Amino acid sequence: MNIDKFEEAIMNCRFCFMCRHLSAIGNVRFTEVDTPRVRAAMLYGLRTGTNSFDDADFVEALYRQDLSGCCVHHCVNHYDENGLALAARADVVEAGKAPEAVKKLAAKFVKSVGWKAEGPSSAKATEGKNSDVAWFLDETTASDKAAVAAAKKLFAAAKVSPKVITGGSIGKALKVIGYLPEAKAAAEKFAAFLKAEGVKTLVVSNPAALSALKQDYAEFGVKLSCSVVSFANFVLGAKVKFSKSAGEVYAIPGDFMRNYLGCDCQERLLKALKAVNKQFGTNDEETYNCGEGAVVLDKLHPELVKALAEYVAARADDPKKDRLVVNSVYAKRALVKYGKLNAVTVDELAASCL
Amino acid sequence: MKIKTDSYMFEMIRTELTDAVGDANVDVKFADKFGHSIDYYWIPEMWHDRGKPCPQADFIVHPGSTEEVSKVMKIANQYKIPVVPWGGGSGSQGGALPVYGGIVLDMKRMNRFYGVDRESYTVRCQTGIIARHLEWNCNKEGFSTMHLPASIACATIGGFLAHRGTGVLSTKYGKIEDMVMSLEVVTPTGEIIRTLPVPRHASGPDLTMLFLGSEGTLGVITEVTLKVHPQPEAREFRAYIFKDFHTAMQAGATLMRSRLGPCAMRLYDETETKTHVSKVFGIDLDKGAYLVFGFDGRKDIVANQMKYAREIMERQFKGKDLGSKGGEWWWENKYKFFYPGYMFHVPQAFGTLDTVADFAHIEKVYWAMKNVVNKEFPDARFIGHFSHWYEWGCMLYARFIFPGDKVPPNEREAAALYNAVWDKAIRAAIANGGVINEHHGVGLKLGRYVKDLYGSAMPVLEGLKKQLDPNGIMNPGKLGFAGC
Repeated sequence: MNIDKFEEAIMNCRFCFMCRHLSAIGNVRFTEVDTPRVRAAMLYGLRTGTNSFDDADFVEALYRQDLSGCCVHHCVNHYDENGLALAARADVVEAGKAPEAVKKLAAKFVKSVGWKAEGPSSAKATEGKNSDVAWFLDETTASDKAAVAAAKKLFAAAKVSPKVITGGSIGKALKVIGYLPEAKAAAEKFAAFLKAEGVKTLVVSNPAALSALKQDYAEFGVKLSCSVVSFANFVLGAKVKFSKSAGEVYAIPGDFMRNYLGCDCQERLLKALKAVNKQFGTNDEETYNCGEGAVVLDKLHPELVKALAEYVAARADDPKKDRLVVNSVYAKRALVKYGKLNAVTVDELAASCL
Repeated sequence: MKIKTDSYMFEMIRTELTDAVGDANVDVKFADKFGHSIDYYWIPEMWHDRGKPCPQADFIVHPGSTEEVSKVMKIANQYKIPVVPWGGGSGSQGGALPVYGGIVLDMKRMNRFYGVDRESYTVRCQTGIIARHLEWNCNKEGFSTMHLPASIACATIGGFLAHRGTGVLSTKYGKIEDMVMSLEVVTPTGEIIRTLPVPRHASGPDLTMLFLGSEGTLGVITEVTLKVHPQPEAREFRAYIFKDFHTAMQAGATLMRSRLGPCAMRLYDETETKTHVSKVFGIDLDKGAYLVFGFDGRKDIVANQMKYAREIMERQFKGKDLGSKGGEWWWENKYKFFYPGYMFHVPQAFGTLDTVADFAHIEKVYWAMKNVVNKEFPDARFIGHFSHWYEWGCMLYARFIFPGDKVPPNEREAAALYNAVWDKAIRAAIANGGVINEHHGVGLKLGRYVKDLYGSAMPVLEGLKKQLDPNGIMNPGKLGFAGC
């Protein structure tokens, strides 16, 4: 089984409570089943027959997880309970026990695989010498006009005219919902597409896509012919000049950027913008990203995303005035739509400081 | 009681419960009930490890208010259904396990924080709030509960109140019972009562104290007002290595008798220093006993306290000074001891023989327990540290550990071995002046010793239980009270 690769997490998380306070879903549902401890104990129970994927409620709990990675980040041993949960989802799919909503979503993503590139074939690179730069404008980012406009403004300020790659799934969502062969196939196709387009540097706005390209592809053994940079790193590398200071903001650490990728580029960009960062809520350990790490939680469980956003809003000093800066359009959308908060992406903030 | 889930009676009760708390707040799914069938007690952990199902509740109920708790209690009394309050489920004594089925009252939905009273330095909250969340809320306002136990990440405030928990700063700020101003409680029959608003009075016996430590057997604590403290200007630690545990104990006791008032103190015996402290800190402490203490408050006062404490440690008892860095190691890693890899884990069999005694008896208790474990159970390792220090004595956090391959493969034999260690060690502790226990509580694990402990006072306790809980539905089988 896929979960066997996460033996350490199964055996240790099943009786451990040390990250309970960070269980985002557990904190809005007030449940035990939505915690790393109980998920790991139930997955251990698959071996002894105490638990089974025939229990639809158990499977549902696996698909309810926020996958923020806060537990892994917090744990002194960094046991990968997130990886365990993803592996369990893959086992659920392999066992033919995926919930109907998940199956439908997978079919939609598989159908969406395919991309097009538009724009100049050559542009100034950000990392050293001249080469072809492309911007991956994923579906989530593309759905947010302000984020797209901000990115274009920053490219212009960097004097870079990238190819713009748009299209469907590059495999992340499929991996997250447990469809590993389909995710790998999408990854292989996207890698081939990038190569065919002659992309040398791919600038990525969506942290989930960045995680796919930097982490999942390596896991699948899919090699990329180009280098991959986050949008924040691109802006920093291009030495874009900012004429205004960002002022006082509440910067929310990203699930992917902090907990998965361990990348502080967005913090560095905030520093370049002379942002004065205030602590949002009571701590910087919890996730305030409403399921960003779960990528499609808003599609599977919008009611939970709403509950998570309301949880965040309840922790704002002034929900109407506070300027929240998030890492992704996913988090922005959830916080604005459900939490009625004033949230922008770090790229938008940067564009507003030009 | 176990109610057949396909019976109409089950549906009748479920309907009443959903009327009381809302449909979304009554869980009857296997996955939810599974999550409440295992806590931090070794027996259910081992049971689960061996593939044996643990007893489950019939209903998991998440009340959102005191009134909803009251309604649930009235329903439970109507049908004589057991009710087991559940906070974080991180208790090590089996106190929150639904061993007779019935209702698990998961309190975490009652997590409201009402803010700090800046005149009285108190905070009011519902008891389902996770302790870490309460502490974060207080910190944001510049205060601290100063209740910082290892279980802070998971346990609720209600859980601490129910079993008289202790945090690492207990030596200065006290145990949870010292921090409480007043309580709101729902009695087993569903009445909502409040204890007097202040803890110091001469208006008869203290009802607050009656419910603290009652482990859900006398009612459900729904709201609490706690003392809070401003964050100190300074908090400094210092550590020493003494040639042996006895010398270190004398040094520690002398520091307590000096009334210098440390905020925390820990003493690890030679074995635990070598095997455990070294591992957690990532340094080699091969010989001797590690002792750490600290002071907090105004910087100039802390400096003076530390100066006089150092005289005791260095001049009087010849401790090897590890400096402030040696103390900071402990403060920075104080929770690390409890993570997997540093804490013991199934398939090992292990337990914390939590005992408290005055300075006149504490070493006798240590040796009595150590000798009995070493003699009767040669496969077990015995280690100990002294965690919570008071003016009159301290708590012994003694532990026994069997390696996994020395634990019988049959779960019944494993449980029998485990209980035998407790029987011998705890009775040795009681015989030598020890009290079980300081902060883990009694629960299911130690219930059978309560009669020994209370002696002729036991009928008083049982009478209180009978009066408050005439149907015996509140957390049956715990704290030495009858099952159902």
